[in-house]
Amino acid sequence: MLEYQIFFDYFPMILLGFWLTLKIVVCAIALGIPLGLILALGRRSNFILISFFATSFIELFRNTPFIIQVFLFYYVLPFYGLRLSAEYVGILALAAFGSAYFAEIIRAGIDAIPKGQLESARAIGMTDWQSMKNIILPQTVSIVLPPLTNQTLTLIKESAILSTITVHELTMTGLMVQGETFRPFEVFIMVALLYWALNETIASIMRRIEKRYSRNRKQNKIVRSNIDIIKSSGFSR
Amino acid sequence: MKPNFLEVIDINKKFGNINALKNVSLNVSKGEVICIIGPSGCGKSTLLRTVNWLTPPDSGKVILKGEIIGSDTGKMTFEQNRSLNEFRARIGMVFQQFNVWPHLNALENVVRAQIVVRKRMRDEAEKKAIKILNEVGLKDKIDEWPDNLSGGQKQRLAIARSLAMDPILMLLDEPTSALDPELIGEVLSVLRNLVNEGMTMLIVTHELGFASKFGDKIVFMDAGEIIESGPPNTILKSPKTERLKLFLEKLSLTSL
Repeated sequence: MLEYQIFFDYFPMILLGFWLTLKIVVCAIALGIPLGLILALGRRSNFILISFFATSFIELFRNTPFIIQVFLFYYVLPFYGLRLSAEYVGILALAAFGSAYFAEIIRAGIDAIPKGQLESARAIGMTDWQSMKNIILPQTVSIVLPPLTNQTLTLIKESAILSTITVHELTMTGLMVQGETFRPFEVFIMVALLYWALNETIASIMRRIEKRYSRNRKQNKIVRSNIDIIKSSGFSR
Repeated sequence: MKPNFLEVIDINKKFGNINALKNVSLNVSKGEVICIIGPSGCGKSTLLRTVNWLTPPDSGKVILKGEIIGSDTGKMTFEQNRSLNEFRARIGMVFQQFNVWPHLNALENVVRAQIVVRKRMRDEAEKKAIKILNEVGLKDKIDEWPDNLSGGQKQRLAIARSLAMDPILMLLDEPTSALDPELIGEVLSVLRNLVNEGMTMLIVTHELGFASKFGDKIVFMDAGEIIESGPPNTILKSPKTERLKLFLEKLSLTSL
């Protein structure tokens, strides 16, 4: 039998854990995606040192268990005088782990653009970075959005592991309430539903954005006076 | 003696074990139209791509108006890299596969590099783009997406994109080879206008009709070497080498 009272009594506390999970994940993604972009560009850099560093970083974080990375961050950083609270360690670990995957997704997106696109940008005098910014990266957006969403959802679920280093996020809160009430079923149903609600919300928002990106592309702004020139000289618009 | 406008000196390029270019040298004067012909895989596209260093040669020099493009030592300094981009901005390049930018509409395709590379104001860049799109006959396609353009229109858009940079030299790599036969004419007529305006051009082409009419010089390449070069009449009517004779015979057979 379900004890409904537990839902009412402990939901506010669980919600507090959910709130921390949300904050940590948002920060980790806000750090992880730009870092992933930098790593992706670094990996294809002509400077061997940069590409070596980026590749090593990606492969290291992609090929080791997240829980081990969390332990390393949490127990090793203080040895080097970096004493951060568990929450910050959690954000850093999650961002580093996520960025390795984000980097590979972005790299695959860049590789999917035909070679001639970069060549024509370089041939007209753009630098490598100008070509990336103006020609290549805008074209990768619609390609990388679905896998980026996927990886974001994974990251949210992986954040549960931060409970092992005393971050009072959703899973940790659930464990604590469970210890108090000895009603695991009610408690973890609440926890699971909150993870599900968060992921479903993000997924549906991203689906909408993806649709918009594939349907109508943004028309570029034209200087007003030139619209008049276009119209007056009989161009059809 | 007046220095040449463009000098290609002793270019070598290897792809793995294949010699794509073997000691290729070429002189071009200002306003000259050079048509490069030859069987596929003979290195003609590679030659074109070494001129603006899109494919850096293994050895040799490319000199435009007395200045070295890229580097002649094999290594690029920061300064050389920057000047290479400046050279490229003045050397228009047109590709067989058009390579127009599909995420930008026709106008923005012509505007973007003017702003990013030439540092022009948007207003000025748009005025120039409108004028050039008009010249290449795309005036009613100004805010069309490249995906909605025909092959011939895409190629004319690509040419307009290059022309907006005020090039002093145009490199055209088989500009009509990917086009349906009935669309070739519209691109050739744009090129004809360029010839009449006195643009210096290197064209890799299979359009012998165009080459003989508008080319000042035809260069025949095979296996990474320049076999014969000269005015169209001598090259096409009285080829000296067996290889060129064979090539021309094959071409005239396929055109029947």
